[in-house]
Amino acid sequence: MNDLIPLMVIVPIIVAILLNLFSKQNTTVKILSFLVAIVLPIIPILSNYGLHYFGGHAPLIDNGNLLNSLPSYISDGALSTFHIGITYSFESLQRILLFFLFVVGFLCILTTLGERKRIPGSYMFLMFMGLAAVTAMLLSDDIFHMYIFFEIAIVAQVGIVLASTDDLKYEVAMKYLLLGSVGGPILLIGIGFLLGLVGSVNITDIVYAVKNGLINTSSPVFLFSFGLIFFGWLYSVGLPPFHTIKSSIYSKAVPSGSALLQALSVVIFISLGITIFRIYSSLPLLEVFLIFFSLSGMILSLTMAIMENDFKRMIGFLAVGELGYIGLGFGIGTKLSLTAALFQGLNEIIITAILFIGFGVILYLTKISDITKLGGLIENNPKIAIIVLLGGFAMAGVPPLNGFQSKLMLIQSALNDNLPELAIIMILISIITFMTFMKAFHSIYLKPKPKNLIVEDVRVPRSSIFAMAVLIVICIVLGIMPTLVTNGFSGFVGGLI
Amino acid sequence: MDLYAMIYSSIKEFKGNIRKDPTTNQNVSSAMAAELTIVSTVLIATIMLRHLNIMLTVLIVLGLGLFLITGMPLINKLKREQNDSLNKMMFYMILTLGILVTSIYWGFKP
Repeated sequence: MNDLIPLMVIVPIIVAILLNLFSKQNTTVKILSFLVAIVLPIIPILSNYGLHYFGGHAPLIDNGNLLNSLPSYISDGALSTFHIGITYSFESLQRILLFFLFVVGFLCILTTLGERKRIPGSYMFLMFMGLAAVTAMLLSDDIFHMYIFFEIAIVAQVGIVLASTDDLKYEVAMKYLLLGSVGGPILLIGIGFLLGLVGSVNITDIVYAVKNGLINTSSPVFLFSFGLIFFGWLYSVGLPPFHTIKSSIYSKAVPSGSALLQALSVVIFISLGITIFRIYSSLPLLEVFLIFFSLSGMILSLTMAIMENDFKRMIGFLAVGELGYIGLGFGIGTKLSLTAALFQGLNEIIITAILFIGFGVILYLTKISDITKLGGLIENNPKIAIIVLLGGFAMAGVPPLNGFQSKLMLIQSALNDNLPELAIIMILISIITFMTFMKAFHSIYLKPKPKNLIVEDVRVPRSSIFAMAVLIVICIVLGIMPTLVTNGFSGFVGGLI
Repeated sequence: MDLYAMIYSSIKEFKGNIRKDPTTNQNVSSAMAAELTIVSTVLIATIMLRHLNIMLTVLIVLGLGLFLITGMPLINKLKREQNDSLNKMMFYMILTLGILVTSIYWGFKP
């Protein structure tokens, strides 16, 4: 059913608007959010693979009658293959990623519903809007359409941060928007250059023009567009020099919001990353830039994470650092590495959600995020501690969890591509990730409880425990049976290279 | 002065400027791990230049190794540069854009 493809974007947008309309009716907001969030993951499962042309504007070549009635310079030329309207493409990558994105989205919404007695409709509006925006980015084959939804996603992310109770939320959100006022327009200028060169913003058309020599790929305009779009991508995903502000954003949102923010960032990373890879893969510098910035992001973020004492900031840095693995997969650029990068991206969405929600429980009970002031909390919640421990193991790449499988694939791809240095660095970074996580885990759960630590006598919301349990089961299943998703990713990558 | 003592005094000085809590063994261990990670990963990453020229790689690795080891402790300097100051973020953003565009321009110049 190709008609279901646009519904993955339209449904969350409509619900977001409705939630905003009924913002003050708490019960309506709760029921509507819950029902729609649980239905969303079903749509990608039911949809058929294929293309959806908005307004029915298929390329001329697909419309024989119209094509024959046109002059030969159109019907025989490249114009006949160009896409006239916005196109959504739904393949195995989109099905897998969107299914898991919506599952994580549902669990984040469920956690929020469980933790708060009163839910403002505007907050739910932002969560659904963020989901809709990144879904559109992943489905869209139109780079300008992607940009529009990218800006919507950024605004939704800032809104989610503003909904927290952190004292510094306004300052951090303002800084993020200020940096975005440079990063976003630079991305748009890059897209403008591409439009000027090719005459189309459809990614398939641009790739066709590049591969068939319709444009000069060594022209300054094409190269400049690459530089600008690449820079915009760095901003959108939080690679250096934007890793500091991205980790800060994560640390200022409420934990379930942070989990969603990271999921949105990963999908933006993959959507724009694939677009850049498709258009500019002929440029030899692409591989160098991808590897350089990904490595820098991993090294800088991980070294900052291990120095942190605030667990929210620590996970923020860890989450940003882990994104570097995806970038390295794109940088190596082989079928195995790209498959591994997509798998790592999926794992990243799931694992960081566990950690944000798990450590969020600590914040819920103690209102403290400084690990030097915490301790001995394993007595209060041993089950949650075990789930968080498993989540940390998955992030560090401990077998048999999903993080191990994707990192192993990445290391194998680096070795196959005669880049053993990258393999060694990936192993080193995994060790540091493990160490950082264990530092936080020991300080929060295992060291003696400080005398002045007050743990509120409230029950941990069942929704949080349920969300973590579901996510950890997914980690274990994907760790034992990675082919459940890697076959789909591999099929998609096969068509990409 | 050994590495532990050097990092300890560096952290103490750094923390003294921003907060008053004590410098613990955990702080120093974390900083040492971060320090060694920075040095080792940067040097290993530099070896990838062997795809361009092996002699150049040897020279750069030796020079960079000397620079990193004599510049220890590095991590507090890095932490200072990666704080939440908008000025620093803007500075590094503009620097990155400049480097990116320059390297693309020179990298492809016939």
